[in-house]
Amino acid sequence: MRWNRNLVLGAVLTGLFVVGALISFVWTPSDHTVLDIAGKLKRPGDGNLLGTDHFGRDILTMIMVGARTSIAVALVAVGIGMLAGVPLGLTAAARHGGWLDEVIMRGNDLIFAFPSLVIAILITAVFGASAVNAIIAIGIFNIPVFARLTRSGALSLWGREFIMAARVAGKGAARISAEHILPNIANLLIVQGTIQFSLGILAEAGLSYVGLGAQPPTPSWGRMLADAQTLVSIAPHLALIPGLAIILTVLGLNLMGDGLRDLLDPRLRERSV
Amino acid sequence: MFRYALRRLSSLIISLAVASLVIFLVVEVAPGDPASYMLGINAQPDTVAALRAELGLDVPRYQRYFDWVSGLMRLDFGTSYTYRTPVAEMISDRMRVSLPLAVYALTLSTLIAFPAGIYAASRRGKAGDTAVIGLSQLGVAVPNFWFAMMMVLVFAINLRWFSAGGFPGWEKGFWGGMKALTLPAISLALPQAAILARVMRSSLLDMLDEDFMRTARAKGLSRRHALWKHGVRNALIPVLTILGLQFSFLLAGGIIIEQVFFLPGLGRLVFQSISQRDLIVVESVVMLLVFAVICVNFLVDLAYAAVDPRLRTRT
Amino acid sequence: MTLLEISGLSLAIRGTPILRDVSLDVAPGQIVAITGESGSGKSMTALSVMQLLPDGAETTGTIVLDGTDLMTLSEGEMCDRRGNDIGMVFQEPMTALNPVQTIGAQVAETILIHGAAGRAEASQRARAVLDRVGLEAFPLDRYPHELSGGQRQRVVIAMAIALRPKLLIADEPTTALDVTTQAQILDLLRGLVDDFGMGMLMITHDLAVVADMADRIVVMKDGEVVEQGETQALLHGMTHPYTRMLFEASDHVVDLPEASEGAPMLRVDEVIRDYPTPRPHLFAPHGRFRAVDGVSFIMNAGDRLGLVGESGCGKSTLTRAILGLEQIQGGRIELDGQPVFTGKRPNLAVRRKMNVVFQDPYGSFNPRHRVARLVAEPLHLLDNPPSGADRARAVADVLEAVHLRPSDADKYIHEFSGGQRQRIAIARALINRPELVVLDEAVSALDVSVRARILDLLVDLCGQFSLSFLFISHDLSVVRRITDRVLVMQAGKIVEEGETEAVFTAPQHPYTRALIAAAPVLPKIEALRA
Repeated sequence: MRWNRNLVLGAVLTGLFVVGALISFVWTPSDHTVLDIAGKLKRPGDGNLLGTDHFGRDILTMIMVGARTSIAVALVAVGIGMLAGVPLGLTAAARHGGWLDEVIMRGNDLIFAFPSLVIAILITAVFGASAVNAIIAIGIFNIPVFARLTRSGALSLWGREFIMAARVAGKGAARISAEHILPNIANLLIVQGTIQFSLGILAEAGLSYVGLGAQPPTPSWGRMLADAQTLVSIAPHLALIPGLAIILTVLGLNLMGDGLRDLLDPRLRERSV
Repeated sequence: MFRYALRRLSSLIISLAVASLVIFLVVEVAPGDPASYMLGINAQPDTVAALRAELGLDVPRYQRYFDWVSGLMRLDFGTSYTYRTPVAEMISDRMRVSLPLAVYALTLSTLIAFPAGIYAASRRGKAGDTAVIGLSQLGVAVPNFWFAMMMVLVFAINLRWFSAGGFPGWEKGFWGGMKALTLPAISLALPQAAILARVMRSSLLDMLDEDFMRTARAKGLSRRHALWKHGVRNALIPVLTILGLQFSFLLAGGIIIEQVFFLPGLGRLVFQSISQRDLIVVESVVMLLVFAVICVNFLVDLAYAAVDPRLRTRT
Repeated sequence: MTLLEISGLSLAIRGTPILRDVSLDVAPGQIVAITGESGSGKSMTALSVMQLLPDGAETTGTIVLDGTDLMTLSEGEMCDRRGNDIGMVFQEPMTALNPVQTIGAQVAETILIHGAAGRAEASQRARAVLDRVGLEAFPLDRYPHELSGGQRQRVVIAMAIALRPKLLIADEPTTALDVTTQAQILDLLRGLVDDFGMGMLMITHDLAVVADMADRIVVMKDGEVVEQGETQALLHGMTHPYTRMLFEASDHVVDLPEASEGAPMLRVDEVIRDYPTPRPHLFAPHGRFRAVDGVSFIMNAGDRLGLVGESGCGKSTLTRAILGLEQIQGGRIELDGQPVFTGKRPNLAVRRKMNVVFQDPYGSFNPRHRVARLVAEPLHLLDNPPSGADRARAVADVLEAVHLRPSDADKYIHEFSGGQRQRIAIARALINRPELVVLDEAVSALDVSVRARILDLLVDLCGQFSLSFLFISHDLSVVRRITDRVLVMQAGKIVEEGETEAVFTAPQHPYTRALIAAAPVLPKIEALRA
């Protein structure tokens, strides 16, 4: 049972960081806003479990609080993508071949031409850098991902006979979409949601690394890496630990996505040839 | 085929027009006036007005949009607010780093991913397949800029095989330039290769389920032979889509990687311009990136038609 | 002398037994047909000969081809036999060819892969083989998508026979094809067997085809051979009850109650349905494809009307138009004097008076809803849909009418077999007590024994509900048994209309005649007994 292993391992990894982020609201090993220059650049285990950074802040604390930023940005961005993308995709499928379908799909193509980093650059250039702008940049880019997936999933269902039966029963496109289409593509959307979540974490890290994401003093994994860059030869753990945090979270989400896909996919037939 | 290309071309032009309008409007709503920003808080109103006229900011918006677009078509991107030099010149300087980097990375990524994906699919369920899946699972999770930092740590700082950053310029010789781009290209390429290899593998495995693969086996082709002769070309259709998307990720990802390696590419230009509120440069670079992405998508569409004869006859 | 000798073949896939002790022989120049219902293991027997079984298959027994036991060969040795000594033709010609390779290259590949010729000669031989299968008019550089289903099946046959194999395996070779195309492909196969002296192992569920083609018949059920013998001897003997049941079910005669003379109910008047086709060039208007071209007919209350035609004739389009699912471009469709489409919207008041049963028992239901909700869906059309206990009673009533239990209402659709699902689809169609039920290929996907029971059910319902139905099918024999009147459709037009028996015994239009002539006929059991 491979899906089981993937799902469990993924859920444990992801859960670790989610729980860490939640705990940080009530308790952290130390206060990340207090600087302690005397105790800077401590190695892991030397009083602090994961060491301290160049301002003497406890790295475990920074990772826990940084997880809040990463998870919140990625989660809200997935939410934006789903809330806008899924209705657009359902509409496009229901109006397949019509002008509305054409407009929605062209709009999607257009957004795809602006990778999230480019959107972020544009937004930042105009409104300045912030976590909110990072969310918007990643969220906008998620919209066409969900819109396309929803449309293609919905289109394959619209040709099915049970949809025809619902139409014969006098149900309109909106009702059919809500009652018959959406529940049957929910699996697809959940799996894609975990993938976009993991991509969101990576994108947030990248944006904060180049200074387009959350601003100081809010800790974020990406900026921890940016700060570590000049110190990487003296204190490699400053770069290693936030990097591992990102990798493990993303890996966990992807494993979870794979596990869910196998678990939810009814077409687990044997491949022949 | 010609008609198909023409249709794609017309949709490309529409996309470009809309994209330019979007970019223009977003930059237009930016708070603050570039002229007063450039001259500081103490500037005289008439100096500001003079500068505004010089920068062409005193004409109506629609007029400026058309001026900007017609300038773009003549490769005249305007004048940088900060440096007072033509933006086109600045961009073309930087492109000499960014474009080779993206192409280098895309080539590496393809060269790694295709064999890995095909190998994994042909060894489905066996140890080789599991290894490729595991590596790609890991590769997808690694942020490229972090990977770049680790490469600097290992190959530049510890082993001293490469320099930790900077770019000598192509004038100093082709190989010197390539060497400076090698670590950045690898760190860009590996995570992308992981994605591409996964898509290649799963796309090939989907092909194994197709009826025509069974037909090929019934003709006497071995499993491997059928996979190569009938699977790969059909599997390329979804892979091409990802390849097109990757180019845009590589261009954008390059912007971040340039920060790691202190490369004088488009990325550094953009961040400088943002901090100096040199919006005309930002606007032009963004437009250029979008232009590149749209053009690559057009090429991908043409490549589809080359791979899939059904598209050539269908209009 | 035998060419192929299967003896004691047993097959299990991941521990699940599929075949048990299958033995049969094929002689050169002989056509042996394996027949049986779905799940009988007939296709797996064919794939065992090819050694192209799914992963996890374990086989025992021997499969001797021309003196060599194929079971003992290595995969590499088997690759040398496939295409060379054994060719295979598959059911679905639309997907059996590689879409991105020319037909010439795909036929030549069989020759090249076995090193039988160089590139130039292989291409010449491919040309010759394509000519032999009747594709003289098609250049080698055509792609599969430029060919019709029948033509693609000819390409598949060309690939299979390019090296003149000793044995040809044909797995449901005509099931996906129209009846006239089927007749041509069967002729082609028979001709090839005669010309080349090949042995042919043919898998088909269609007993009429079996009786028509085979020298020997092997009847399978649940992975075992229940009866086999020379065609004539088997047809006359039919010692096994299952064989007899199969033949009786295939030609199941129903006792259609006397049609009542009703008033005109459905009026289809000069209906035109156009589809836009791609623009011929960038600035030209869309082209038009006329799927339904001036169709008119009247259906009276109590009519059991058949609509037959081959795929692409427009019968499905006409069905959708009658159901008010699509707008028509000309003419009128009225039920009880009310148009099914008013303005741009379907007319719900009319729609509640009719319902439909589709072909696919698996795709017709939302897998996430329980039967009660599925069956009750058309109640949505009523002004005051019943709720609570009334609704449950309505569902229970129709379930009982189709011989299911009221308690089935709480189950999910995947708990039912194909035949039971089709009963549920009929229950759904009946819940509003419609005046008209459209049966769109409603029994075409079912095994013969299941089909016979569904036909009985329809007859039973005709009595219970004074049902009027429009029975759309490509299967002439079924239409002949279940309808009083029939319409024959070709290329968007009704070419013949009349009393069913009259049309079948004395067809007037050349197309109707061609259709009836092409349909293979099952010998009457009484005649065989006599």
